[in-house]
Amino acid sequence: MTRLVDVPAQFDDRSFDQFAGAFAEAAKDGGRLLFDAHAAEWASPYGLVGLLVAGQAGRGGGGGGGGGGGGGGSTGTEKPLLTAPTQAEVLTYWARAGFFREAADLFEVHGRVPKLKAQDESDVLLPVTPVRAAEDVHAVVSKIQQRASAILASELGLDPKATMGFAMALSEACQNIVEHAGTGGWVAVQRYHWRQKLGRRVVVIAVADAGVGFRHSLEPTQSKRFGARWGDAAALEAALIQGVSRFRDPGRGQGLAGIRRYLARWDGKIAIRSGTARIAIVPKWDDDVPLKDGLPPFPGAQVLIIIPEPESTRK
Amino acid sequence: MIQHIDVHAVLQESVPGGGVYGDLVTRPTGRVVREQIERAIATAAVARVDFTGVGCIDYSCADEIVAKLLRERPAVLVLSGISDAHREAIEPVLAGHGLAALIEGPGGALETLGAPEAAAVLLEELVARRLAARTPGGTFALTLA
Repeated sequence: MTRLVDVPAQFDDRSFDQFAGAFAEAAKDGGRLLFDAHAAEWASPYGLVGLLVAGQAGRGGGGGGGGGGGGGGSTGTEKPLLTAPTQAEVLTYWARAGFFREAADLFEVHGRVPKLKAQDESDVLLPVTPVRAAEDVHAVVSKIQQRASAILASELGLDPKATMGFAMALSEACQNIVEHAGTGGWVAVQRYHWRQKLGRRVVVIAVADAGVGFRHSLEPTQSKRFGARWGDAAALEAALIQGVSRFRDPGRGQGLAGIRRYLARWDGKIAIRSGTARIAIVPKWDDDVPLKDGLPPFPGAQVLIIIPEPESTRK
Repeated sequence: MIQHIDVHAVLQESVPGGGVYGDLVTRPTGRVVREQIERAIATAAVARVDFTGVGCIDYSCADEIVAKLLRERPAVLVLSGISDAHREAIEPVLAGHGLAALIEGPGGALETLGAPEAAAVLLEELVARRLAARTPGGTFALTLA
């Protein structure tokens, strides 16, 4: 029996929990999944890479899903179905963002998907790109420096130091997949207007995987320390706030700590969702909450990094 | 004698894809590059580790290469060819470990980067060993060529 998972019309980090809830509910019975995005009007990079994760986990068997959050695999090796957006401009955007290139391996896609290559154009600084190994991180960093540095500095008004730090933050976020997920994932970088009411342009990094999640990764070294509090929220707190790592090497944990430092300096935001929890370092310009627990389970980890244009360059 | 290490060349030679990419990113890359450097400076008293031509250094590589080389201290290390962006990655990593590194500027002047206490000790030690001396301009420079 096919189970329906609605993709929110406005699919971003704010509506992600709604999607995760639908996914968890649909996946628990073991039927084939149908992701219905026909009514999608817009998706952020976070939404697009999250949808790929659901497709990977929803395929069961080969997806490596489940781990941290439960709601994973369901149906053996049969690909889940995906109904593509019906609005032409939405379809075109998803294609240009590189979504369908990756989705083709994960979903049986239904709809008129345009034969467009993923493009590096003005808003898509890095199309949806798979990250499976260290070499992929090299490629991502090299590409983002060639493509994005000039744009970040000239159009978003970021300090040149901020653009170099951007590559470091991107590298560290991608390495979390390689080092901790136990499976591959995806990264996408884009710029857009962040919620019209705030009127700020931002650059967004979205990284997602269907791997084991933070709780599973840190459990051997951290669960005793937290005792009864141990869970997805505690694991995220340990990783992001306390900078702990599953490795005993004292130099480990630099990645997220470095990202935090970078974001503190440039007034940026980071949010990490893993399993049933989500943690965020929230700057003054945003109204997110620092920690949410008891969310619908979702496989792996999803990282959102936002760097806003400085107040002084706002146009 | 000072052993000169061209980090960009080491990256190109030792890492798959290093010929294509000029960035020091990821732990595995950092590990391979550090091991190559360790072999190259095994018998040197002073090593000048030159980062000229290296694009981005991320925190993982800063830790894996610079912090670990300083902790293991196979030789006195002097970093050169360090850009502002390189400092952005290296400085917090060193400070977090309570370590300091010597940076050699284009004119040969030495400055320190990292934890201030460790930096003071490092400079004192170099002067005591006559590996560095105060210049007429008031800065420090290596005494060896």
